Amino acid sequence: MIRKNWLTLGLLIIVILFNSGCAVNRTTATLDPTADLVGIKTIYVTKLAPDGRGINLLITDKLKSMGYSVSTGIDAPEDVDVVVTYKDKWMWDITMYMIELTVTIRDPKNNYPLASGNSYHTSLTRKSPKEMVDEVVNNIFKQGVENGQK
Amino acid sequence: MVRNKVFIFIALLVSVVIVLSGCASPASKDAVVAHNIPITQHHQKSVSVNTQGGSETGAMDSSNISNSDFAKAIEESIVKNGLFTQIIHSGDSDYLLNVTIINMSKPMFGASFTVRMEAAWSLSEQKTKKVVMRDSIESSHTATMGQAFVGVTRLRLAVEGAIQENIRLGLMGISRLHLD
Repeated sequence: MIRKNWLTLGLLIIVILFNSGCAVNRTTATLDPTADLVGIKTIYVTKLAPDGRGINLLITDKLKSMGYSVSTGIDAPEDVDVVVTYKDKWMWDITMYMIELTVTIRDPKNNYPLASGNSYHTSLTRKSPKEMVDEVVNNIFKQGVENGQK
Repeated sequence: MVRNKVFIFIALLVSVVIVLSGCASPASKDAVVAHNIPITQHHQKSVSVNTQGGSETGAMDSSNISNSDFAKAIEESIVKNGLFTQIIHSGDSDYLLNVTIINMSKPMFGASFTVRMEAAWSLSEQKTKKVVMRDSIESSHTATMGQAFVGVTRLRLAVEGAIQENIRLGLMGISRLHLD
């Protein structure tokens, strides 16, 4: 009898823990009012040192598909229009998934963040890394259009 | 019978603790206002403050600060430290201060929580649109188990500390400027 009760308690805790993380979705994009994304032609995507999943390549491909001249690597040169940095966060729930991605467009001369986008999706509404990259990058440039930059 | 009552009590207690421990509270505006900033120059100008990158705090989320609370905290810090003579909300001010939260990394586990924050601070003249300052400001703050035993409270304290430090560094940077 007591053993059955403890089993019920264990199941209750598991259900509460799983439900507590089920439905957080957040997307944001910001553009500095002093920034201008219109004149961008060349972009360098700086690979995050611990990134073993090639997120830099997904961002590079996305930006190339938008018509920019893009290169990627570890050391950002100064002779590009902007540098892109990113930060990805992963969680485990049956399988590993990307819970959060932040992409920032920076001035190569002083590292100043000109624009930034962030997406956060917990397990039940998880997206693939490519979908996360698409969402964040699209939101950043959409923000530029909304601020009157074509 | 007594064993069953004890069991029910423990089950209820555990459930309440788990549910409550998941309820995050937002960073308090009053807790992030920066006091006693060493001001190099008090500017005899007016300023408007615009903030981006903040977000509301959901019950199952971690502590955040909303854009309006972030702006109010910066404004209050400016007033308390006499950095500018006037805060104007309509936009007809001498300068526009834009502060964007770029990143706030928060730990999920640990005895001490260290939150790291990056914010983009830009100050421009309203009439000419001339940019007089562009700075990426990084700050961090650690909250210990001694300060708060409950994890969500400890995280909120760390978030508030990182925001307050960012405001302090940002306004110190502006006070070093020579404005016309």
